Amino acid sequence: MAACTKRLDRFIISLRLLRNLQLQNERFLSTSPCLRAAGNDSESPKFVPPSKPVIVDKTQTVASLRKFLSPEFIPPRQRTDPLKFSIERKDMIRRRKVLNIPEFYVGSILAVIMADPNASGKTNRFVGICIQRGGKGLGATFVLRNIINNQGVEICYELYSPRIQKIEVLKLEKRLDDNLMYLRDALPEYSTVDPEMKPVPFSPTGEVPVNKIKVRMRPKPWSKRWERPKFNIQGIRFDLSLTPEQMEHAQKWAQPWLEYDMLKDADLSKIGR
Amino acid sequence: MAAWSCRFLLLRGTRVIPPRAPAERPALLVGCIRTVKTTTWFEENLTEDNQEYMRKSMAEEYRRQTAEKLNPLKDEPWPRHEWTEGSRRVGLVAMKLGMVPVWTKTGERHVVTMLQVQDCHVIKYLSKEEYDGHSAALVVGGKNVSPFHRSEKQMEIFRNAGVPPKQKVTAFKVSDSAIIKPGTPLYAAHFRPGQYVDVTGKSIGKGFQGVMKRWGFKGQPATHGQTKTHRRPGASGPGGDPAKVFKGKKMPGQMGNTYITAYGLKIWRVNTKYNVLYVNGSVPGHKNCLLKVRDTVLPNRRSTLLNPPFPTYFTEEDGDLDEDLNHGNCRSDDVTRGSPSRERGRNGGEKKTMKQKQGRSEAGMLEN
Repeated sequence: MAACTKRLDRFIISLRLLRNLQLQNERFLSTSPCLRAAGNDSESPKFVPPSKPVIVDKTQTVASLRKFLSPEFIPPRQRTDPLKFSIERKDMIRRRKVLNIPEFYVGSILAVIMADPNASGKTNRFVGICIQRGGKGLGATFVLRNIINNQGVEICYELYSPRIQKIEVLKLEKRLDDNLMYLRDALPEYSTVDPEMKPVPFSPTGEVPVNKIKVRMRPKPWSKRWERPKFNIQGIRFDLSLTPEQMEHAQKWAQPWLEYDMLKDADLSKIGR
Repeated sequence: MAAWSCRFLLLRGTRVIPPRAPAERPALLVGCIRTVKTTTWFEENLTEDNQEYMRKSMAEEYRRQTAEKLNPLKDEPWPRHEWTEGSRRVGLVAMKLGMVPVWTKTGERHVVTMLQVQDCHVIKYLSKEEYDGHSAALVVGGKNVSPFHRSEKQMEIFRNAGVPPKQKVTAFKVSDSAIIKPGTPLYAAHFRPGQYVDVTGKSIGKGFQGVMKRWGFKGQPATHGQTKTHRRPGASGPGGDPAKVFKGKKMPGQMGNTYITAYGLKIWRVNTKYNVLYVNGSVPGHKNCLLKVRDTVLPNRRSTLLNPPFPTYFTEEDGDLDEDLNHGNCRSDDVTRGSPSRERGRNGGEKKTMKQKQGRSEAGMLEN
């Protein structure tokens, strides 16, 4: 795991260096026409001092962005050769050069335009709230949910599929959980997203807003027993749908020793030193 | 060094658990008696400095050997023939890395296994008479391993070829026009995208398994009065007429850990920089296991094998191929517009794309 993160860090650093190089070049480009124009002026009989070059400092706006590492870049803990992950990462970056995959979290509202040979105009657009981000590497997916004509629709998109033409984030926000599958058992108002929604402007800097909404559920039975501690859901209003006795009964499935389990996510390279 | 045998002491009441000592080598023998005292392991009679020196010197030597062998044409290569209809060429030994998805230009998604060809060398040539009387064979070896745990007999074969000792050594049946000089390295570009291959490997061992897992029997119901019979095979044959159980009756037994061949797998992509083959579907074996890859024997898939690199792909002669050879699949920079129209040329190479400065974000790491 340490080896992976080290490689990732080196990777991030090298990318940042490349980006800085790129931006420095842009800066020089913006200054050169002014200097050239100034050169022409100095040839005329009356000496006019060259105008001050306009430095468009693009490093400021770009460098102060949020540092976001997409979760599919983190390789899982397996006995695979790191070479496989590095080759896969190269392919992922080549794809990202063509298609801009923006930063988004579970709970953000996205619009995806996908190529479809059977649709009129060859593309179709789907707007929905992201309820899950799964998979690692090239097979990374995200599930968008929306309710259209009183019918709940969930579409699972692959981030690196060549059929996806555009992903835009209409509203960037986080929720209290990593997995919003419980929206299937929540009241439909929490899953409806207006397809003609205007993108909500969000600042490229600063914290991502966390929507601390607590969702009201339909009456039980639910598709999964969301009150059980293994799901660890913060975003449901259990007090409206469950009695305190039921909540206590659900705690029987708690595994409090897991948080003290040292091997679960341990960095094994440090053991023995 | 042959594998040393030992007898485990099982005294009444004691458990044989070798204590975990810092040195791994002696620990294996603490809990048992060493019965073979003829051979030694290389570290037994050497001091620590000498052990270090041995390891380093061997590694240096093998690096030198592989560097030398990169140009087999330097010292009298064997004559090369042209490919004819019925000729069979050599295969490779590859390591299974893992599986990834791959998309075609029409938007269909397929899953492929990545096989990396690591240090593949031809080790020996066996003529028709030596091998089986029908066809000649070429012995090919896979991944490099340390020489310290190989017997002298094995090391002699590797030394004759001038090649570091290999983990997997297999024979490929080859026609006489396709023989290659021992010591030649083999690369992934030996196979081309669009070709079909057979991959042989040892499947993952599941141990002694019952009839439901091993053969897919349905078993018996869980309830309704079944007495102690839920996963049993049931009847074992017809009855009084044969009055016997036929040979080959499916019964519980060892499952897995046997050599299985997957036939007719298409090659989607070849990465010549890392020597990786992208092979359709799944392949027997666990991750990082060594497999035998050869051209298909299936008659309906042999037509794609026109003009392969024969007898194999030599780096000096055939020049630099593009780093990524594709066959009808989208490289990640293609975007389908709902119709299979885009025809792009071969990719220029990793170095070019990384240096291209584009205004967009270069990675998912730093986002706008």
